[in-house]
Amino acid sequence: MKLNINGVERQVATDWQDETLLTVLRDHLGLPGTRFSCGIGQCGACLVHVEGSPVSSCLMSVKQAADKNILTIEGLAADDGTLHPLQQAWIDENVPQCGYCQSGQIMQALALLETTPDPDDADIDQAMNGNLCRCGTYDRIRKSIKKAAIVMREAN
Amino acid sequence: MAGISRRKFLIATGWVAGGATVLYTLRNKAISVAPTVIFPDAESGAAWLQIRPDGVCRMFFARMDMGQNANTGLAQIVAEELNLNVQDIEGVTPSTSDVTPIAVTAGSMSLTAFSRPTAIAAATLRESMRARAAIKLGIPGSDILDDAGGFQTTDGRKLKYADLVDQTNLMVEFDDSKPAPNLYTFDATRDKKQVGHDVTPLDIRALVTGGAVYTADVPMQNLLFGRAIQPPVRNARIGKLDTTGVSDTKGFVKLVQQDEFVGVVCKTPSAVDAAMAKISVTWDLQQPINQQEIDRLVDVDAEMALGDLEHILLDEAHRKDVDWAIDLRFDVQTQTHAAQEPRAAIARFNDVDNEGETDHALEIWTGTQDPFGIKRFASMDTGLSENDVVVHPQRLGGGFGGREHYEVERDAVRLARAVKQTVKVQWTRQDEFTASRSRPASAHRVRIATDDAGNLSDWWYGYITGHVVFARERLPDWLLPVARLAEDMGVVKGALSPYSVPHQRVEYKDVDLPIDLGVWRSLNGAPAIFAIESAMDELAQQKNIDPVEFKIAQMDGGQPRLQNCLQLVAALSAKRSLPKGAGYGRGFACGIYDKRCYVAVSADIHIDHETQKINVLHMSCVQDVGMAVNPGQLRAQIESNLAWSVGMALLESFEVGDNTIQSANFDNYSIARMADMPSLDIEIVDQPNIPPAGAGEVALVAGPPAIANAIRAASGFRALSLPISFKDVV
Repeated sequence: MKLNINGVERQVATDWQDETLLTVLRDHLGLPGTRFSCGIGQCGACLVHVEGSPVSSCLMSVKQAADKNILTIEGLAADDGTLHPLQQAWIDENVPQCGYCQSGQIMQALALLETTPDPDDADIDQAMNGNLCRCGTYDRIRKSIKKAAIVMREAN
Repeated sequence: MAGISRRKFLIATGWVAGGATVLYTLRNKAISVAPTVIFPDAESGAAWLQIRPDGVCRMFFARMDMGQNANTGLAQIVAEELNLNVQDIEGVTPSTSDVTPIAVTAGSMSLTAFSRPTAIAAATLRESMRARAAIKLGIPGSDILDDAGGFQTTDGRKLKYADLVDQTNLMVEFDDSKPAPNLYTFDATRDKKQVGHDVTPLDIRALVTGGAVYTADVPMQNLLFGRAIQPPVRNARIGKLDTTGVSDTKGFVKLVQQDEFVGVVCKTPSAVDAAMAKISVTWDLQQPINQQEIDRLVDVDAEMALGDLEHILLDEAHRKDVDWAIDLRFDVQTQTHAAQEPRAAIARFNDVDNEGETDHALEIWTGTQDPFGIKRFASMDTGLSENDVVVHPQRLGGGFGGREHYEVERDAVRLARAVKQTVKVQWTRQDEFTASRSRPASAHRVRIATDDAGNLSDWWYGYITGHVVFARERLPDWLLPVARLAEDMGVVKGALSPYSVPHQRVEYKDVDLPIDLGVWRSLNGAPAIFAIESAMDELAQQKNIDPVEFKIAQMDGGQPRLQNCLQLVAALSAKRSLPKGAGYGRGFACGIYDKRCYVAVSADIHIDHETQKINVLHMSCVQDVGMAVNPGQLRAQIESNLAWSVGMALLESFEVGDNTIQSANFDNYSIARMADMPSLDIEIVDQPNIPPAGAGEVALVAGPPAIANAIRAASGFRALSLPISFKDVV
């Protein structure tokens, strides 16, 4: 079984083929930036993109993800280490507190900006409402999304 | 550390590799029960600093990082004292064998307790470097002036710290019989370059690239996965246990059963889920679990009708029979931590090589607020000596008071021992909800009378809550009854009002509730101050007086810092106009957390009949916690507390069913989401002359009553129980 993760083809060993995509990423392939939090698709911490769409990786079996293109938080920065505009905005606004949910927040924000390059507050509320942050960094997430959106629009 | 000199010890831990190190030790001895409460005092501390031969400054980060980012503030203090840039300081999180015991990270005590010892350590190192420079140059120390990263002479010669240290190890020890060196951090006249400025966390890049390492991310060889059954309440006993078919699970390794402990070890995480699903347990409870039982136990009116409550906190010319202008009961719900990271631990048993000094029989990786407590309890649990156990503390994905106990660590330790291999345990979300020690439900009766001039004359406040610090199984069974004779420092938080009243009584009782309880952000601060600030607001409303003016008048000049916060928040909120029309309201509240942190909050709300929701539109907050070491970090903590305020006032309710815990995941326990979040205006009162107090749980004491008071202003509805729903109001 093969997965294409962040542009790199990875093999899934036989023992791991009954797992979820999340546990394969984290515990088998050494990509722990995608987090486990609720296990029922209710919090967004485990969000990755599969074929360009946001998916709760805790709910997807690795079999469903076989041969698909998967983007995780580890694949967001450029190869030379340049951060994605969303990641840079997250730093500029000093968003993370405990930081545990932020991989999922950034991946969901990416999905939003791919369909809505100039989101207003209502767009952000709607798109981000499934991503929980117990530390309550929402106000900064909102600002960062708007900031990154400007950078990304100017780049295009 | 017995039998090993400090120098040898530091070398053995790899801490000293040349350069100059400053070291403080704690004179207090560890006590044998949790939590670890050894705070540095004014003159001694646990600050470990080093300037390495290449001139880099390293420091031990003494605080467990769970998002409060206290270590960055302490690093700013070190940078200020040493004339360095904080970004150039290298932080190291020590294991329990690297340092002497350090207090549990809790109670917003980090900056309060560690700022001065840290400043002393850094200043001692600076002055010892200055003395070295004086010897090297053959001129008096007074001719050697501070410079970025080192010193300069009066005639313009520059010396970096790197020029003053070499490959030999120089140990600088503070002699507390002599006065401490001049502390730049606490010099209000100094133009500070590090302290008082916004600094993002030193490791922020890792937090946005997925590179931050939490316990479950620590790379391990030959790792197995495990989990144990969590009872609905810790004093439950297994009645019936059925493990049929567990061993047939694909990837199954071992079923481990030890008295009340039942767990499994498997080769993959999903195999653990499958095996655990096959275990069925019927629990014998010592006390029925249901909401009616909790309500009965905290029924403050029933108890006050019988006479004095168990503890009298304040009794000043108390009068029972007066004409009460306010006589209200407030009920506050159970709430749980719901940290985003379900707790995890990894345990490994090693073959101990007695010749080696760093080999330990048991190693534990865990995100905990109290690494030394975990070490002690693991030692008791396994029978190993404390020297044979080492805890490697990891970053926490949220703590909020809920991560102090030997629990997930116990699961990993017992399972790893049974299979003689490294085991990782991560609790499920349901385990988190079941076994996190929630904030107890409580009930508060507030009675207030006024004199002919309209000033407060009588105050009678009684409340009942579950235990907090002395909750069941937070202390050993033999100690608990004795401890409970004294004041539970969690239960009394927030109970004394800031208002001036000639006749006062404050009394309380703490009880054993049928669910597991413990420390939750602000402890009893938020529940008590919700009751007090709601009652005072109601009195102002009834008298048709502006609540802010009324409260300030009733402080009678006795609380200048709180009064200042309240005045400033009134001015801050006035910058935004409240929309006109039905259903809009603005409310205010203020409070003191732990006698040292002052805050006032305003909330603008809208009762939306179309969506049948109460929306918090905007909140303003002014906070005074003394010196603002890192104002940006204070703002972040305020934002977090205001999000929790929305949750406490409107959303969160921990539900129990018939002998079960019903709130099991985020689909049946609502916390604030993006759309619930109001816009925020925040102002920090900086007090350069007052040492920093904590900020981690301050604004939460005033946020919920501000929201409740706004609802009263909008609708006339006085919220007597939390959370408040739209249905309550209409």
